[in-house]
Amino acid sequence: MRFLPIFVVLFWSLLSSAQERYAVSVIPKSLINRASAVVRDLDYEVIMNKPDDLAYKVRSAVTVMNSAGDDEGEVVIFYDKLFQVKSVKGIIYNEFGLPVSKFTEKDFKDVSAVSNVSLYEDDRVKYFRPAMTTYPYTIVYESEIRSRQSLFLPTWRPVPSEGVAIEKSTFRFTGPADYKLRYREYNYPGKVEENTEKNIKTYKWQLSDIPAARLEPYSPDPDRYRTRVRLAPETFAYRGITGKFSNWTEFGTWVNENLLKGRDVLSPLTKQYISELVKDTNDPKAKAKMIYEYMQNKCRYISVQIGIGGHQPYPAIDVDRLGYGDCKGLVNYTKALLKAAGIESYYCIVNSGAFKKDVSPDFASLNDGDHIILCLPFKNDTTWLECTSKHYPFGFLGDFTDDRLVLACTPEGGKLLKTPKFAALENRQTRKASFKLAEGGDLSGKIQTRFEGTQYDNHDMLEGEPFKEQVKELVKLYPLPNLEIEAFEFKKEKGLKPVTIENIDFQSRAYAALSGGIMYISLNPVNKEKRVMPDLRIRNNPLFINRGYIDEDEYTFELPAKAKIEYRSGNTTLEKPFGKYTATVNVKDNIVTYRRVLQMNEGTYPKEQYAEFVKFYQDIVQADNDRLILKF
Amino acid sequence: MNKLIYAILLLSVTSVTAQETDFPFGKPTQAEFELKRYDKDTTANAVVLREFGTAYVSTNVDISVVFEHHVRIKIFNEKGFKNGTVSIVLHKNDANVFERVSDIEAVTYYPDEQDLMRSAALDPKQVFKENRSKYADITKFTMPNLRNGCIIEYKYRIESPFLRHFRNWEFQSDIPKIYSEYLARIPAVFSYNVSLRGPYKLTKNTGTVERECYNAGGGFKADCSALTYAMADVPAFIEEDNMTASSNFLSAMFFELAEYVDSRGVKHKVTQEWNAIDRDLRSSEEFGSQMKKKDYFKEKLAPLTGNITDPLQKARAIYDHIRNWYRWDNIYGIYTEYGIKKAYESHTGNVADINLSLTAALLSAGLDAEAVLLSTRSNGLINKLFPVTSDFNYVISKVNISGQSYLLDATEPLMPFGLIPIRCINDQGRVMSLNKPSYWADLKASQKESKTYTFDLTLEENGLLTGKMSFISSGYAAYSKRQSMKKSTSTDEYIEKLEERWPKLKILKSRIDNVDSLDKPVTEVYDIEIRAFDNLNKDRIFLNPFLMDRVNENPFKLAERSYPVDLGSASDTRVVLHLQFPAKYELQSKPETIALALPNKGGKFIMQANQEENSFNFYQLTQLEKAIYQPDEYLYLKELFNKIVLVHKTDIVLKKKI
Repeated sequence: MRFLPIFVVLFWSLLSSAQERYAVSVIPKSLINRASAVVRDLDYEVIMNKPDDLAYKVRSAVTVMNSAGDDEGEVVIFYDKLFQVKSVKGIIYNEFGLPVSKFTEKDFKDVSAVSNVSLYEDDRVKYFRPAMTTYPYTIVYESEIRSRQSLFLPTWRPVPSEGVAIEKSTFRFTGPADYKLRYREYNYPGKVEENTEKNIKTYKWQLSDIPAARLEPYSPDPDRYRTRVRLAPETFAYRGITGKFSNWTEFGTWVNENLLKGRDVLSPLTKQYISELVKDTNDPKAKAKMIYEYMQNKCRYISVQIGIGGHQPYPAIDVDRLGYGDCKGLVNYTKALLKAAGIESYYCIVNSGAFKKDVSPDFASLNDGDHIILCLPFKNDTTWLECTSKHYPFGFLGDFTDDRLVLACTPEGGKLLKTPKFAALENRQTRKASFKLAEGGDLSGKIQTRFEGTQYDNHDMLEGEPFKEQVKELVKLYPLPNLEIEAFEFKKEKGLKPVTIENIDFQSRAYAALSGGIMYISLNPVNKEKRVMPDLRIRNNPLFINRGYIDEDEYTFELPAKAKIEYRSGNTTLEKPFGKYTATVNVKDNIVTYRRVLQMNEGTYPKEQYAEFVKFYQDIVQADNDRLILKF
Repeated sequence: MNKLIYAILLLSVTSVTAQETDFPFGKPTQAEFELKRYDKDTTANAVVLREFGTAYVSTNVDISVVFEHHVRIKIFNEKGFKNGTVSIVLHKNDANVFERVSDIEAVTYYPDEQDLMRSAALDPKQVFKENRSKYADITKFTMPNLRNGCIIEYKYRIESPFLRHFRNWEFQSDIPKIYSEYLARIPAVFSYNVSLRGPYKLTKNTGTVERECYNAGGGFKADCSALTYAMADVPAFIEEDNMTASSNFLSAMFFELAEYVDSRGVKHKVTQEWNAIDRDLRSSEEFGSQMKKKDYFKEKLAPLTGNITDPLQKARAIYDHIRNWYRWDNIYGIYTEYGIKKAYESHTGNVADINLSLTAALLSAGLDAEAVLLSTRSNGLINKLFPVTSDFNYVISKVNISGQSYLLDATEPLMPFGLIPIRCINDQGRVMSLNKPSYWADLKASQKESKTYTFDLTLEENGLLTGKMSFISSGYAAYSKRQSMKKSTSTDEYIEKLEERWPKLKILKSRIDNVDSLDKPVTEVYDIEIRAFDNLNKDRIFLNPFLMDRVNENPFKLAERSYPVDLGSASDTRVVLHLQFPAKYELQSKPETIALALPNKGGKFIMQANQEENSFNFYQLTQLEKAIYQPDEYLYLKELFNKIVLVHKTDIVLKKKI
């Protein structure tokens, strides 16, 4: 009898500690601010038993604070033939830390993860969304995945996105003590903890008490400021293949030997065709151009992800026969064709996208890069080819892969090279227009625009389209009321510095309206800045402008003879380190000339300048709305 | 609304032995090789030269229906290359009952570098199969060696165990077709309802009888009707903005199994009459049986509704309970996935699990509740001539109280009582009740999308605009407001986001009401400060009074429109502005009062501005009274917005007094 009170007390304390563990009330206040989800305790462990036998174990507790955090409450597991789910189960807790429901693998939905644009991939995904309609709630789960390869090792990204706070997140790798793990820490505040016990070595990283970040536009690549730990094997196993690389040089050799070797064989007929094709010139560059254009005409891009995690190209002979391939297949094929003409080229791994991103200079891993381009190492004249485009001029990369480090797989092994950069003044859009304003407010005229540098393909959606379709696009590109296109021309000058030239003759009914004897005329009808930069109270990241450019617009308006200028706005000049804007208005008789130049300068600027940047855009928006008031 | 053209095809079936068949595979004509463009539509990137499809009921017990498709396409340029990638969707129930594709044959005829015509056959290793989901597989392939001016030709055969799934035939696609023909061979023991949808006419419509073509074994034989339908010169289908599913407008032939006679001579009605469908659904384990589970809710709801006597209050309480109870799994369907018991216990389910729970719960409280089957906007319109349950993909609830009906959908926790999500607003739904025959009911938004902005501002000497602004949102406007508010953990957070979106604005004090009272409009009242000007040391000040929702561009840009503009619901936006300005200024010009109306009470735009001593009053109303505007109303709608854009460009001009 006298033991009972003790028993009761113990029981209560157990219950309350269990309750307390996931109660929202115990989350530190500093972490709740701005958080749509809080990672309470996440433990991610990679256990290597053998190089072809790994287990990925996750124990996760995440509190979802509001509907914007729903994604963090989902359990999403991608899998394929080499990456199989062994078990997953969990419990959902309410705001007070009391269990509400449980789930197991059978509650997951299982669907194909193949993107619609792809002909083939073997990825699948299992996902589970908690059935919670009230916030906050906490989802706690454990999963185990078995991986039968060690070529790809995971990257730890404890902060998944903005709006997520971290109470505690841990990452561990456990393997045989003699296994050489390569790892690299980025923005990690501490140092790895290493521990060896009985031939088992553990590496541990941990992050705690990180408040939620906000979305800050014009920030650098999150990889530059968020914590990340990358792992890579030195020796690995993948579907019966074993291998070893510890730096980019060795990696490049490994790619040559294992992914590319023997894949550049061409039929004698094709080889003969190529030597015929280029026989009239001795200039290797001219030869290469002919071969590239031959390939562009013959092949098209089709995404097919097969073999070694989607990293092995189709053999050149297949691409030759099928007339299609993905980036790897088309690059490998072009490389084979060039080789047939005695021209050397390198298969290059790159991170693609308008947002520039280098291949990690000092950490060799197959997880880096998502696209392949071709490099032609002509003496003092390195030339780069994008093989998935049917239209890009020879030697033009555009903003998809410009100005960044890539890994070139050369016969001597992997080498880091940099793709060419376009300076702000090269990325130029020049527009000249002459408008005639009728008394009733209708506007007619001609607009000529030149697009250069990375702006070269700004309007490429118009290329090759029938006139009717072009008109549909033009009414969106040029927001003139009741726009009627009377003539349209779209042409390309595909030189070393390619240019696109667009000519439009148009009519715009009711461009302006006469109201009480007064007419408002917008002086900048077609290149108005509309972006509104959010006015952040707190800015943590530097201001980052990924790529510079310049837009020059010059418009002349011929006014009706009867019109008198009642008011015109003054000139505007804004000059900041990150950009420059000028707008000027000149009047001569009944001709008004408006000139606008906006230049943005690539670079990283101190975070304090963000407020100026917001103001800069506000002022541009305002200046772009400058008007003329006419009196009749 | 329903402008679809249906034609019931009456066939005079004659007994002729001559049988139209497929065109020969792999023999493009010289003229087809030489074709440089399609003269009837020079904008076409590709054209179907010829297409033949056939479907027939098989005698093989494992199969049921066989479908064969054969097409030859001319591709003029690379924008037409997408026609060279083929995805064949195959339905499946489980590992034993599934459709299968076979006999894929495909060839590209292309001009090589010397302009010699060559051919390349599809490599069977380049045919990929994807297990897309529980109910679908996809077989994909892409044609080799596509060049400008090439011809591709392919055929395949699908064997299907689903007797009801007689493939429909689309005469129209996003490229034009010169000739498209479909031959359906149907044994007399099966009867399908056949209908044609879309604006174009058949150029061939014949039927013949084939004697004893169907042999199910055991001496059971039947004649077949061989029905041939064809269209020539079918224009491409071009999609436009603001329209419901393209399948509503495409010219296509639909087949719905009505009845069949089995090998013992017993007749089975499949679809045809609503009373049969009603009976089937009422007894269906995944539908009617679930609706009948009212006892399941009796106890659960007792504490909720015990004290309420007013039926409407009761219905509201139940609706609130169910919509807050469930988190929808984003899956549509008219049949329950888990059954309402399991769904209720686990707080989740598909549309039917949730809304049949709601119906059963309403019934358990003694209310007159029904279920409404519907087809969502993206799923297309229902063929009302031949009822087929598989056309419906969604179910909601309807409760009738004192002669008034309310449509309810509990999948969206932020929808007020009586308002259904836009996706459900699609012509009519079929009301299923446990005790009466089913009937059609309109699916309409019970409330307009309505917004009112009120500003009471003073222009200060220092260039600031200070004062109050308030927003009142109801209907779908309130729904989206609530949705964005729920994305913030606190009101402060929401206001901060609002300020960020609207630079120059500072919110000094705020009050937001009715976020959780879904039946009331959401109201927001803010004390604000706008940094309108750096200073007032100017002779003239320009101020645009359209502070919110300014229309800078006409959303309707095309010169003409072929299909209705479907906005989902009527809408109503009001702006009231009172502006006080310093005495040293006088109003020089202001937007002129304007009142415009659309024909047939379609909507209006009113803007009034007047001046008092040192202040300016402004009122604006934009009203779109219809959810759907027909193509012949398009130009009026476009013109209305043209005017709005012009008016919204006009500033108030204040001039310093001399």
